[in-house]
Amino acid sequence: MTANLAGDVTMRYVDLRPEEPGEAVPVLLLHGFGTTFDMNWRATGWTQALADAGRRVLGPDLRGHGATDKPTDSGSYLPERFVADLVSMLDELGADRVDAVGYSMGARLAWELALRHPARVRSLVLGGFGPRDAFAGTDLSDPGSGDTPFDHVFRTVAALPGNDPAALAACARGQAARPFSADPPPVGAPVLLAAGARDTLAAGAEDLASHCGGTYVEIPGRDHANAVSSRAFKRSVVEFLGERAPARGPGTAPPVG
Amino acid sequence: MAEENVTFTLPDLGEGLVEATVLEWQVAVGDRVERNAPLVEVETTKSAVVIPSPKEGRIVELHAAEDEVVAVGAPLVTFAVAADAPQAGIVGRVPTEEARPARRVRLRPPAD
Repeated sequence: MTANLAGDVTMRYVDLRPEEPGEAVPVLLLHGFGTTFDMNWRATGWTQALADAGRRVLGPDLRGHGATDKPTDSGSYLPERFVADLVSMLDELGADRVDAVGYSMGARLAWELALRHPARVRSLVLGGFGPRDAFAGTDLSDPGSGDTPFDHVFRTVAALPGNDPAALAACARGQAARPFSADPPPVGAPVLLAAGARDTLAAGAEDLASHCGGTYVEIPGRDHANAVSSRAFKRSVVEFLGERAPARGPGTAPPVG
Repeated sequence: MAEENVTFTLPDLGEGLVEATVLEWQVAVGDRVERNAPLVEVETTKSAVVIPSPKEGRIVELHAAEDEVVAVGAPLVTFAVAADAPQAGIVGRVPTEEARPARRVRLRPPAD
């Protein structure tokens, strides 16, 4: 028996297993607003970098995005709805714990996942994300109509093939309905924040890192759009996640020699 | 082993884009690279992407500096490849991605 079937969505996700598994805990990748798993993580070289590190990668097209259903009511896009999707996906895959890595809106959702389900998140990586209100000054009845940083982001992504501007506007309103709060921070998961030095949408990331006892990495010369593909960013994250992994996890061959 | 030089041009990145800016080379002249290894990171007006190497070989020349704008179809990089390596259909193309293990799952709200 299930209730409220009208509120469900069909979600596309990927489960990429490396040829030589080195670590049992998968990496969950959560893309940013208006993009997709492939655009945010595959085209930018992340899936390759993580496969090279022996990591299994899980990641959805979040609701409203990519090949996943795109409802147009803002209530479908409250952060807790996304978190429920993620938990269902992890349950379906039998993934008890993940290293959660998000970019921009995906970072906010990774934070929510760690906050609401601390047992499911071993490490938390927030890219291109800061504690300030991402929608400040934006007329959310008509996003993209103004000149705020979010208006610019909205116009860029609304024009991408496959995106539904009405669904994206609803998504923005749903996210804005639950303003981000740095308190309480998630417990139990070490946190890495990383952002381009010129990323205005991630303003305050360094403060947020100190607030939650985490680490901050600045990506020199990069902005919100082009920090995500940076080699320095990938290297920092792979190293950070590697520090949390046991030296010899299940399925790992003992060192030779 | 005999080698020959092959030049790879900036591929069509889709969506009617005609140029891209080089953000960061992931290889240097003299490096040996494997096919599909990260070659160069570029940015368009739509997104930033990493272009994988279309072939295995040694880097002979990088035709664009970082921060330089390159037109689609303009030379990007020259490789020295083994002369007997198969060439057909490779020049100027990004390797086709392998089939993606994608699945769809129907999600339901929690029963509580």
